[in-house]
Amino acid sequence: MKGLRKVLTPFAPDQSGAVSVLYGLGGLIVIIDAGGCTGNICGFDEPRWQDVRSAVFSAGLRDMDAILGRDKLLVSKIADACGRIDASFVALIGTPVPATIATDYKALKRMLEKEIDLPILTVATDGMKLYDEGESLAYKALASEFIAKEGTLDEITLGKTPLTYGGSFADVSLEDYKKIGASTKVIAASASGIEAAKTLGLSYVVYSSAAAEIAGSIPSGKVLVCHDEVFGKTLRDKGVNCDIATFFTLHDEIKESGDVKITEEDEFTDLTVNGGYDVIVADECLKPLAEGFKGQWIDAPFFALSGRR
Amino acid sequence: MAGKTIQYTAAQIRDLGKENIPKELMGGHGLVYSSPATLAYNSPGAEGFGVKRAGLAVPESVMLIVSPGCCGRNTSIVSSMPQYKDRFFYLMMDETDLVTGRHLKRIPDAVCEVVSFLDGLKKKPKVVMICITCVDALLGTDMERVCSACERALGDGTRVRPCYMYALTREGRRPPMVHVRQTLYSLLEPMEKDPKSVNIIGNFAPVEDGELLRLLTDAGVKHIRQISTCGTYEEFLKMASANFNIVTNPEVRAAAHDMSQRLGIPYIELTRVHDVARTAAQYNAFSSAVGISIDISAEKAKAQEAVDTLKAEFPDLTFNIGECLNADPFELAMSLVRYGFKVDEIYATLAPEKFRYVSKLADISPDTKIFCNMEPTMLYYDMSASRAHISLGKDAAFYCPDIPNIAWNSDVQPFGFQGITKLMETIKETMKEARA
Repeated sequence: MKGLRKVLTPFAPDQSGAVSVLYGLGGLIVIIDAGGCTGNICGFDEPRWQDVRSAVFSAGLRDMDAILGRDKLLVSKIADACGRIDASFVALIGTPVPATIATDYKALKRMLEKEIDLPILTVATDGMKLYDEGESLAYKALASEFIAKEGTLDEITLGKTPLTYGGSFADVSLEDYKKIGASTKVIAASASGIEAAKTLGLSYVVYSSAAAEIAGSIPSGKVLVCHDEVFGKTLRDKGVNCDIATFFTLHDEIKESGDVKITEEDEFTDLTVNGGYDVIVADECLKPLAEGFKGQWIDAPFFALSGRR
Repeated sequence: MAGKTIQYTAAQIRDLGKENIPKELMGGHGLVYSSPATLAYNSPGAEGFGVKRAGLAVPESVMLIVSPGCCGRNTSIVSSMPQYKDRFFYLMMDETDLVTGRHLKRIPDAVCEVVSFLDGLKKKPKVVMICITCVDALLGTDMERVCSACERALGDGTRVRPCYMYALTREGRRPPMVHVRQTLYSLLEPMEKDPKSVNIIGNFAPVEDGELLRLLTDAGVKHIRQISTCGTYEEFLKMASANFNIVTNPEVRAAAHDMSQRLGIPYIELTRVHDVARTAAQYNAFSSAVGISIDISAEKAKAQEAVDTLKAEFPDLTFNIGECLNADPFELAMSLVRYGFKVDEIYATLAPEKFRYVSKLADISPDTKIFCNMEPTMLYYDMSASRAHISLGKDAAFYCPDIPNIAWNSDVQPFGFQGITKLMETIKETMKEARA
């Protein structure tokens, strides 16, 4: 049945992706939720939360706040916090609650701009899409407020967040983003990195260092890579004879014959049984879906799938 | 002022009075800081026994979480525990579902597919809990009707019950953790009473084996049932035969009231306290109320000895106390100060009903500082101003990483003199290790 998960737990959602891009940039991040979404993000999807304190807050919505659409109360809470917390910007992150009550982010932004002398970023995530889309939206929000062609910057990597690469994420500062238009090289390390570069109108190269590291250890034969598209593309560029299957965005520029975007558990099972693959490169959390697969499995941890670091 | 953590002393709070508790200490008035405590309790599905684990407390039950993907994301933590293998399933909502509510029509088919899948694994469930979240709270979904449709679709007697993971209603009249307890015990059907049968209800893991169970056994009780110790659904259903319920957590009070009305099972509350004299008084009141004779002298003496030993070895011990622990932090602080120890800081949300503890604490330890885990300025908390030797509570370790910590948050619940004894001994051992 479409949308029914019997084996896998849900993947990292768009709101986690948005926070993943904005975390550690010095902003005051407000997740417009009742608390549960913030619990999922900071308590699970954001490994940096354990080590680095960051101003990530829940809006602490209650039922009547949502039912009555108390935007003024939310603005007042944020303005109050801004008076006591040092921040370089405010970011509003959407969740299913504002999606349900059709929150007007443009109006919220205007209301906040009247109260707070800081840039206001809004990211209209809704918890129903996947993390890479949230990352892309966050990059777009950053681009709209900060990104210019001032200064100099040698190289910048986009889309290398903990959700795709666990502990090997790229540490990019707000100052780096401000200078991105002047960078000499932009590396798109994942689907969201490609989207970000496109949004900014920058030329880029597609490359995953994590994939490049394991390329030499992958046996010959027909290989299925189930990961982010850039991870698969890098393996292919390194000479691995692989098809890419991804639960996330698959851009036309990456896609080749045999590559496929998948959504349901059964689709992955079908690939493993009927695809004729000798090797699968994927997170081990997918193994229970491939009980009929007799070839070699090479573990490629993918935090957005399994939550494994 | 930016960069300054808001705090109040116990004396300041006492002097302000119960009606004027600073809003920064009560939470629910501003943005909520992402502290370990708020991430745990603000999210009904997160740590410990949130709604998800609680909903599966009934033996031979499984859960279908019907929600946007984000609501089920952290369930992989729970799913990795062996006892939850093949017990969580997800029907993920998309934006069209949100607008049209079409997902509700798919739930019976999804439940049938899950039950059929489990039947194939020889794990057919007796109960399917359908967990829904904030979205359906706002859509006003009638889950009783959906569950009835599921039971009709299954047609084999499998029970289907709703489980509401509504973070939006956390401070409402029936918060999620109250409601889930009512749902669980609503599965019980009236049956003949057994005068020698008692239930302990409130938590989802058992009360620590020992004292309370022994006292009941000595008083002639033959069957002591807790939801977590029932091995099968049939055994769980026998909880309906109890002569009375012992309530050990106020969040089960509404369920206990339901059972009293529907099943004719009266209830009595026992509160976990850490003062030896108050524990003794509570046991005496309990034995009078239910008409049984209990001898608590040995346990009481042991608890007092544990307190005295700790005091002798570490007379000036100073604590910082969080709220992610099996204790009321304000009551625990008051008890520790009464024993002659010091409590420097407490990190906990101050609800008005806790004011009585803070007021008493202020009389004997006026300078104890109180912080609220929800307050945004906790971002700037710095432990360097504290002189504590040890912290209690899992969340306190986050604030005080450089001193020994006792999480004291096991699933199995410490209780009574036994709980006091174990806590004192654990503190002693932890301090000895730290000193070594």
